[in-house]
Amino acid sequence: MGMRLILNAFSSLMERPLRTLLTMLGIIIGVAAVYTMLAIGEGTQKKILESLDGTQARAITVFPDWTRGRSSQQRPYRRLNESDLLEIRALPGVEAATGTLSQEYPVITDATDWASEIRGADQDHLFANDLELETGRGITQTDIDRKETVAVLGQTVVNNVFGGQYPVGAKIKIGNVPFEVIGTVAKAPESGWSNGRDRDNFVLVPRSTLRDRLVGGDYLVRNHVNQYRIIGEDQSVLDRIEEDLDVILRRSRGLSTADAPDFRVLNFSANRQQYAQTQRTLSILLATMGIVSLVVGGVGVMNIMLVSVTERTREIGLRMSLGARQSDILSQFLTEALVICILSGLVGLGLGYGVSSLDFGGDDIDMVFSPEIALIAFGSAVLVGVVFGFLPAQRASRLNPVEALRHE
Amino acid sequence: MSPPLIQTIDLRKSYALGGSTVHALDGVTLNVEKGEFVSVIGSSGSGKSTLMNMIGGLDQPDSGTIMIDGEDVSTLKPNALAAFRSSKLGFVFQQFQLMPRRTALSNVSLPLQYRRPPLPDGESRARAALEAVGLGERRHHKPTELSGGQQQRVAIARALVGSPSLLLADEPTGALDSQTSKEIMELLVSLNRSEGLTIILITHDLEVAAYANRVITMSDGQIISDQRTEEKAA
Repeated sequence: MGMRLILNAFSSLMERPLRTLLTMLGIIIGVAAVYTMLAIGEGTQKKILESLDGTQARAITVFPDWTRGRSSQQRPYRRLNESDLLEIRALPGVEAATGTLSQEYPVITDATDWASEIRGADQDHLFANDLELETGRGITQTDIDRKETVAVLGQTVVNNVFGGQYPVGAKIKIGNVPFEVIGTVAKAPESGWSNGRDRDNFVLVPRSTLRDRLVGGDYLVRNHVNQYRIIGEDQSVLDRIEEDLDVILRRSRGLSTADAPDFRVLNFSANRQQYAQTQRTLSILLATMGIVSLVVGGVGVMNIMLVSVTERTREIGLRMSLGARQSDILSQFLTEALVICILSGLVGLGLGYGVSSLDFGGDDIDMVFSPEIALIAFGSAVLVGVVFGFLPAQRASRLNPVEALRHE
Repeated sequence: MSPPLIQTIDLRKSYALGGSTVHALDGVTLNVEKGEFVSVIGSSGSGKSTLMNMIGGLDQPDSGTIMIDGEDVSTLKPNALAAFRSSKLGFVFQQFQLMPRRTALSNVSLPLQYRRPPLPDGESRARAALEAVGLGERRHHKPTELSGGQQQRVAIARALVGSPSLLLADEPTGALDSQTSKEIMELLVSLNRSEGLTIILITHDLEVAAYANRVITMSDGQIISDQRTEEKAA
């Protein structure tokens, strides 16, 4: 009986293909929107949870204010320096502080060369960036003091320069300077903040070596670095560290408290909250769109089902005279509405998945398509079918058979 | 003697129509025995269709009782009425009421869908019913590919497929020419004679009514004559 109901519903819908298709459209769009909305919500959730791992959640990044121009009225752009870093590392609540100097150079062996980000690092670099040594050893203070030509490779470099072979002990050239590989770094954890960059394409060398042998000094700031990354002991100390940073940097850079700072401090947890807020707003907007579209689609289904009931009044009368119960007629029309919505639900899931994999949202929108989400989106289509299919089906089942048979 | 197949006692039904009350049925008492072929004639508005709808369980009287096969149809609940129609009745309509996109066989099978418990061998029953009306060869044709007379035969096969004890025919020849009407009436007569099928036929055509062995005339909701014709020579 159930199978026959579904088959009958199918053949009845196929009799009016265009009408069925148009009716489906509203539900399809609704389901696609709900599906996408849920996927974005889930993606945001995942990203936030991931960023709570490791040191990311208690990191503060400092870099010079690039937006300040070098006009004649202003001081020239000043880099950060290593000596302030020592003071910052000694601040209460600071677990680690690293200054990084980085520039892109080719990594050269006899066999190949590969462009990579060369980072002048110190002993805190790995920890502060949630990285872990895989083999060998990392950069130490001694390496920095002695300006050793030693290098620690990221996974992308291991793979592209050494074809995945064990590289420790091998000789490479960075630019024209020969280095010895002393270690490798394990693959960087997924953070959701990579913005499409390859997070494993880097080589760590002692900061002093990079500055002296490759980059060269800065004419204003001795011991310059590109940025600081400071890890607090926990999130609650971040605000106080930020205040202390301000004092240290202003003093070092000769700024009074009234002056505008020529550096920027980026507190990751604040950043993340703002990000989460944006994503939440987007989710709510999409949810509203999805629900409105589903409701409009549902009204479309109801409308078409009412038309269908009117058109088929005589058929309904006939079926009743042949022994159909009210419940038979009800389930006949309810099944049709459900079949419309179930088909639309499936197409809508496909559409939602397809459109989002086109990636027009770039890296700012993260989506996670889990089976649960698909089930919820699909379930909402079924719900729409039941809710909006019921009234027309009930109307059909309550027709007076005598009048229905006479209907023109 | 067994009780009559149909027994109606003082059936009354009235409608409000534009302020005045129309008595569609005004005290109809009628017995029909098993195996009878009854024609009900009368002008339109005489109440003949209302009477048939009540016997068919499609309409309820204001007062009076309808006993069919020992069951009081006038008090049945909707689901029981549906079951009653499904197992005891076959309907034939003036406009055939076939589903245009289904084949003859599929149309004939339609009532079986509602039979509870389901009858065994639904498909072969439908085939047999189509053969009984002489359309075995046309079972895969759609109504639009059949003549009016053939369509009405399909409708009769549909009425017969559930082995009803009573066939209700509402102007079955109303949409057919006289030659085709004759063939349909001969089919009904033969079903009545060979299968002992009880038939109630509504018509306003005296010639058609004359095929029956009992003719009831109605006017203004009442039976004004009830004549048994001579048994025609078999």
